Amino acid sequence: MYEALTQFQLEYGYLINPLIVGTLVSIVCSVVGCFIVLRGMSFLADAIAHSMLAGVIAGYLFMKVIFGQESHLGGMLIGATLAGILTVAMVGLVTRFSRIKQDTAIGIMYTGIFAMGSFLLSLDYIGGIVQIDIYHFIVGDVIAVTTGELWLLAIVTSIVLSVVILFYRPLQLTSFDPIMAASIGIPVLAVEYLLTACTSLVVVSGVQIAGVILVVALIITPAASAYLLTDRLDRMIVTSAILGVIGFWIGFLIANLTGSAAGASVVITMTAIFFLCLVLAPRYGLLADWIRKRNTVPQEIMEDVLGSVMRSPDDSITVEEVLGYIKKPNMKIRKSIDMLERQGLLDVDHGKLKLTKDGLFEAKRLVRAHRLWETYLDQTSVPKEEIHSRAHQLEHLQDQSMVDYLDDKLGHPITDPHGSPIPIDEKRISRDGKVLLSWLREGYRARIVEQRPCENPVNIRVGDIVSMGERSKDGAIWTVITASGTQLELDHDQADSLLVAVEQPE
Amino acid sequence: MSQINQSGRKTSAIEVEDLTVSYGPVPALLDISLAIEEGKLVGIIGPNGSGKSTLMKSMLGFVKPDVGAVRIFGTDVSNVKGRVAYVPQRGAVDWDFPITVREVAAMGRYSYRRWWQDLTAKDYKLADDALEKVRMSDYRGRQIGQLSGGQQQRVFMARALAQDADILLLDEPFAGVDAATERAILDVLEDLKNDGKTVVVVHHDLATAAEYFDLLILLKQRLFGFGPPKMILNPKLLGDVYEGTLRVFAELEKQGAED
Repeated sequence: MYEALTQFQLEYGYLINPLIVGTLVSIVCSVVGCFIVLRGMSFLADAIAHSMLAGVIAGYLFMKVIFGQESHLGGMLIGATLAGILTVAMVGLVTRFSRIKQDTAIGIMYTGIFAMGSFLLSLDYIGGIVQIDIYHFIVGDVIAVTTGELWLLAIVTSIVLSVVILFYRPLQLTSFDPIMAASIGIPVLAVEYLLTACTSLVVVSGVQIAGVILVVALIITPAASAYLLTDRLDRMIVTSAILGVIGFWIGFLIANLTGSAAGASVVITMTAIFFLCLVLAPRYGLLADWIRKRNTVPQEIMEDVLGSVMRSPDDSITVEEVLGYIKKPNMKIRKSIDMLERQGLLDVDHGKLKLTKDGLFEAKRLVRAHRLWETYLDQTSVPKEEIHSRAHQLEHLQDQSMVDYLDDKLGHPITDPHGSPIPIDEKRISRDGKVLLSWLREGYRARIVEQRPCENPVNIRVGDIVSMGERSKDGAIWTVITASGTQLELDHDQADSLLVAVEQPE
Repeated sequence: MSQINQSGRKTSAIEVEDLTVSYGPVPALLDISLAIEEGKLVGIIGPNGSGKSTLMKSMLGFVKPDVGAVRIFGTDVSNVKGRVAYVPQRGAVDWDFPITVREVAAMGRYSYRRWWQDLTAKDYKLADDALEKVRMSDYRGRQIGQLSGGQQQRVFMARALAQDADILLLDEPFAGVDAATERAILDVLEDLKNDGKTVVVVHHDLATAAEYFDLLILLKQRLFGFGPPKMILNPKLLGDVYEGTLRVFAELEKQGAED
C-alpha cells in the first residue's frame, strides 16, 4: 500500500502543486471576475494584466538592488500590483481631465506601460540583472510552480476572498447603484480602488496559469457563463467559482494527456463552457429563447379559434372542424385551444369546444371589433370584395380607445353593412359603472349620473332613471323613455352628452 | 421630528448654500442657494441639461461641490448617512443586474447595518412591508429586469420606504409610466409628506408641476426661481429659461387666464 503511494507520488507528484495552485487561482479569479463583468471593467482587467510586466521588473530590480535578493517573488507581486493600480489611476486621471473616453485611455496606458517594461527588459544592462523568462510570463507555466509560490498564492487567495466576503454588500451596492451607496456613506471611490487592488492581485496570480495574454479569460469567462445561469449575485459568484474550477481541471487534464500548453487548454475549456451556457442556459440561453418564441401562441390565432367557436351553429364545434376553418399550422391552433382552456375562456369536452361565459364576452368583443371595422371599411374606398378579409386582419387591433373611436365616428351603429348585429361590450358596461348613454341598446335601464355640456342640452336631470327604446332613422336617433313616461328623441351629440350607470339589463 | 439648532432657530431639511459644481470647464450648477423646509413636496424643473440631476446628486453627497455646501438638517451632507433616500432615473439602472425585487428593497436597510454585518430578519420584514405598501409583494423573487416600467419604479419606491429616511429624492419618477402608476406614485409621495417627510422630485412636465408640488425650483445652471408654483410658472420667467419652446407658455398663459 505504502509502496503504491510512493510509486504514485514519484510518478504524479509533480502534478500536485500545479493542481492546488490552479484550483485556488481559478476560484479567486472567477469570484472577482463577477464584479468585473457586472461593472463592465473587462478591458481594464486586461490592461492591468499587461501593465504587470513593468511592475514585475520594477519589483525585481528593487529587491535585487536594495536587498540583493534574486527574483524575490513577493517583491515582484507587490510591484505588479502597484503597476496595476497605477494604470487604473492614470486611466481615471486621463478620463476625468481630458475629453478622451475611457476605452481609449485604457488602450494608451496599458500599451505604454507594457512597452516600458519590455523596453527595460531588452536593455543589455538591465536584462543582465533581471532573469525573467519572458515566454513563461506571456503564456504562463503552471507546472513550474514551486512550493514557495504555492504558499504565496494561497495567502493572496485568502486575502482576496476575505475582502470579497467582508465587503460583499458595499461591492454589490456600488456596482448596482453608486449614488445610493454614496448617500448612505459608503466611500464609492475607495471601494473601487479596493476592487482594483483585488483585480491586480488576482491577475498576478492568474498569470502563473495562463500568462498575461490569456489571464483575462480566467477572470471573465467563468463569470460571464455564471451570469447567464442565474439571477442573483450570491449564486452567480458561487456558480462562477465552480465553473472556473471545472474549467481548470478539465483543461489541465487535457493539457497533460496531449502534452500541450496548460494555459491555452484551460482557456479553451472555459470558452467551451461559456458556449454551452450561451446555448443551454435555462432562461437566458439561445435554445430557451428559441423554444420560448416557438411556444408563444399569437393572440391572432387564439382569437380566430374563439371566433370560429362562436360562429358555429349550436355554439359547439369539434377540434377537427376548427383545424379546418383556420388556415394556420395545426400545432399552433392546438396550442391556442390549450391556452384558451387554461385562461378559462373555452371548455373542451371529448374533442368538443364550447365557450365559457368569459369566453363568450371575449368572442363578442372580437366580433364587435370585426363588424365595426367592416362598417368603417364600407365607407372608405376599399373594394367591397376585400372588406371581409381586411376586417379579419384588422379585428386583432382591438385597442380599447381605437374601437371606441371607430364606434363613435360611425355613430354607434347597431348593424354592420351585411345587416348582422354589432354586439356591445357588455363586460365593460357592467364593470365601468359610468358609460355613455349612446352605447346602450334597446331594453337597457339606466340612471343618469352626469350631464356634459352640449349644444342642445337634453331636458333631463342627474339621478333620473330612463329606459332605452328603439333606434330610429337608421340608428341616428336614440329614443329614451323617462320614468314619467315621456319619450325623448336624442341625436348622436345629445346621447353622447349623458353618462349613465346601468341599472339592470333585461 | 424638526430639529432646533443651537441658536434656537429651526433648521431647514435641506439647505443649499452658494453651490457651484462643475464637470470640466463649464459649471453644471452656478451659485445656487436655497432652503427647503421640512414636510414639503418640492419639484425641480428646468430644460434638459439644466443641472437638475446634478442638484439632486449634490443633495445626496455624490458630487463634490467646487464652491459651497449642502446641509441636511444642519449637518454637511458628506457627514450624513442614510437620512436621504433616493429613487434613480429608470435609464440609470442596469436592469440586467443579477438581483431580485426583494434584494433591492432590502438595500434600503443597508444604512442601518455596519458594512460587514448581515441584514437581520427584521430588516427583511421591513423590506417586505415596504413591497406590500407599493403592491409588489407578488413579485418578490423576480429579477428586476422582468418587470414592467411602472413595477420597476415601484420597487425603488419600496427601497426608499424601507430606508425610512427623512428626505426622499426622486429623479424623473413619472417618465415613461402609465397614468395609473403616476397616480399611485403620487399617492405614496403625499402619504410621505403627511408623515412629515421632505420629498424632492426632478420633474419634466410643466403642465402637471403646479398640481403636484408645493414648491418649485426652476433651474438652468443658475437658480431662476424657487417658490410656490404660482410664482414660478409665469410666462416671463419660463421664457427666460426655456428659450424658443414658446408653445408651452402660450398654453400655460391660457390656463393662468382661466384661473
